[in-house]
Amino acid sequence: MRIKKIILSNYRQFKDIEITFTKKCKSDLHIIIGKNGTGKTNILNALNWCLYYDEPHLSRNSQQLPLINLQSVDEAEDGENKYVKVEVWVESTENRYFIFTRKAFYIIYKNGKNEKHPKKQHTEFEVKYTNEKGNTNIIQNEEADFFVERFVPKAIREFFFFDGERLDNYFKEATAERIRHTITLISQVDLLENKIERRLSDILKEFRKEAGKENPKINDTRINLEENENSFASTEKQIKECKDQIDIAKKRIKGYEEKLREIPDIESLEKELNSLKISKKHEKETLYNKIEEKQDLLFEYGKNIILWPAIKNSIKIIEAKRKNKEIPPVIDKKLIEGILKNEVCICGRRLDDNSKKRVADLLDEIKLSSGIVIQLVNMENPLYLIKEGIKEFRKKNYNLTRDINNYNKILEGIEEKMNQIDGKIINFNSKKIKEWYEDSKKFGKIRDDNQKNLGILEERKNEFSKNIDTLNEQLKKEIQKEKKIIKIKKQIDFCIKSLYIVEKTKEIIREKTRERIESETNKIFFKLIWKKRTFKNIDINQDYNINLIHSMGYECLGTIGAAERELLALSFTLALHTISGFDSPILVDTPVARVADEHRENLGKIFSKVSKNKQIILLFTSAEYSKEISKLLDTENSSRFNFKLSENEKETRLEMI
Amino acid sequence: MATMPDRINRDKKDGELYKKLNGEEFLKFKGSGGKRTRKEQFFFAMAIGFKNNIKRPLNTKEGFFLIKDLLPIDETLINAVAINDYDSVEILANKGEVFKIAEEYAHAGIRLLVDKIESIEFGKFEKKLEQEIFEIYNKIGLKNG
Repeated sequence: MRIKKIILSNYRQFKDIEITFTKKCKSDLHIIIGKNGTGKTNILNALNWCLYYDEPHLSRNSQQLPLINLQSVDEAEDGENKYVKVEVWVESTENRYFIFTRKAFYIIYKNGKNEKHPKKQHTEFEVKYTNEKGNTNIIQNEEADFFVERFVPKAIREFFFFDGERLDNYFKEATAERIRHTITLISQVDLLENKIERRLSDILKEFRKEAGKENPKINDTRINLEENENSFASTEKQIKECKDQIDIAKKRIKGYEEKLREIPDIESLEKELNSLKISKKHEKETLYNKIEEKQDLLFEYGKNIILWPAIKNSIKIIEAKRKNKEIPPVIDKKLIEGILKNEVCICGRRLDDNSKKRVADLLDEIKLSSGIVIQLVNMENPLYLIKEGIKEFRKKNYNLTRDINNYNKILEGIEEKMNQIDGKIINFNSKKIKEWYEDSKKFGKIRDDNQKNLGILEERKNEFSKNIDTLNEQLKKEIQKEKKIIKIKKQIDFCIKSLYIVEKTKEIIREKTRERIESETNKIFFKLIWKKRTFKNIDINQDYNINLIHSMGYECLGTIGAAERELLALSFTLALHTISGFDSPILVDTPVARVADEHRENLGKIFSKVSKNKQIILLFTSAEYSKEISKLLDTENSSRFNFKLSENEKETRLEMI
Repeated sequence: MATMPDRINRDKKDGELYKKLNGEEFLKFKGSGGKRTRKEQFFFAMAIGFKNNIKRPLNTKEGFFLIKDLLPIDETLINAVAINDYDSVEILANKGEVFKIAEEYAHAGIRLLVDKIESIEFGKFEKKLEQEIFEIYNKIGLKNG
């Protein structure tokens, strides 16, 4: 089945609009885009209003406004009749039409201030349909509801027409009880419960009451039994609530545990950081020493290198003087000068002319004074040392430069490691972590308290159950003793046996449905998921807890992203469609609003894939219909509409894109 | 006979220039928390003056450090510079002249050194100096290490 068109007259923002969903390509995908306030969500409400006569998604603003379009009220004369109409055209696979029409009639009155007010008169609901022979039939009110139940039953409509938020929240808040309830609805076990079980219980009570009239003992036991049965039912209800609370708490705790599992060991990271700080300090000191050594080398050797021409020259002169035997000094020039001046030899003898001439010749031969020679001799060693030092300069400079580069690299490495650790520590806000621990503890207390309560309640339930068994047995005996009521006795036996059979049947159907939904959800999810290797399977266990198992073997439902969570809920919803046998369309309001930009594309692809076999109507906000989504869905849809609000904001108009 | 001087002088105005060496960590004076002595700073300035072959007579002399603080290697360098400048070892007989030559090179050198430090981007002087020393070193052609 698919929705062929929706016609809205005077319904809220829509004065007169017809939206036709024609399938023009392989994808039966239809897109409606509109800014907030243009009435997108009211399409979802209009559908519900027409089919089920309620508006479950009404915004606070809309709740304060009348159902009838304000523009239409403005235009009406005093006392004029107006109506609101929503028509939903449904097309079956055999090309038969079902036109659901709901009308609400109004009279518009003017008050003393000349303001117009709509006064609701009555509502009509009808279904026009073509039968197998092609004839058109019209059915009204309660009978018409039967056709709605054949299209999308009211009890399970939330799996067909829903808000995107529901997809996001479904498994966040899903309790085993909720899943159990859903499976009960889908398997239509509730029919057995409501139509047969309840009726049988009522009949049984009546028979027992009748039997009690014959014998006061029977009556007392019956009253006692009914009291115990009521207490049993109320305890069961409390147990259900308790289990729900435990379920929620467990899920939350699991979520926190998953979050906390990803947090690095801050303490050991801080230790590592401290040891790196010490290493950094040490390496930095060594680096500075090396830099200083290099500075000293440049300073000392640099100066000598610059002065090399003078050094070289001195070495050359000294070497030449050595060669000429001027160095070392053989005779002290000053001493000879003194002898010649005083004409007295060092032995005290006076010099004769011959001796004077010989001493004068000797003085000529001594060119350098001994003082200069001594200075030159003193210079020799330092000069050679400087020369040798200069020769070593390149090697020393090379070694020091290499060491400095190495220490710089070591420091860069340490710095990088420290930054990585800093990044890890900073990314995990310690305040948040503390909050998680505290919340987890809080939910732990809720779980423990409820578990304690559950124990008490279970015990009480068992007690009531035992009492019921004993009283049933007692009642049976009392009734059997009473010969006047043989017929009632048989009827009571029949009711008890029937109730037992109904209970067993319910269990079998529910179990089968659970297994089928689990298998179908797995099939759909793994066909659609973009991460093919991340997950292993989906498991709906016998307690109706849903688990998504990671390929590494652990349960990961609490930690998956919004897009994956929505896909899981969508797979579950589609599985419910298959199992329920209702092949009706899906209408989703704000389908990707809670999904991060980068994953919207994945979800867009999923909707496109699903729409090959099922009609999908998506209501996007303008911001939500991002470039990525637009690029993907612009070519994949059968029709695309835009909602625009009129200037006076009382009417929304439709544009086909 | 010339008297032996007891100290090495600098020009009085050079005091400010020597202070400016404190801008470079590795030339910084010990008294300002650095590691160079006045003698070391003087020798470096003298080398720069020598490199550029500029001597400037001192206008107003001011004692800079004592001769007794000169090590044999320091005296050797001063002597070598004087011999090279005078082109004769006889200069060594006049120590006053030997030291005067060193002082005049240092007086010219300190100005050149400070100008260079101030003209080069902060923190780059050391690198530039290393480069220049290597250029000279490569020309020397002394090979060992």
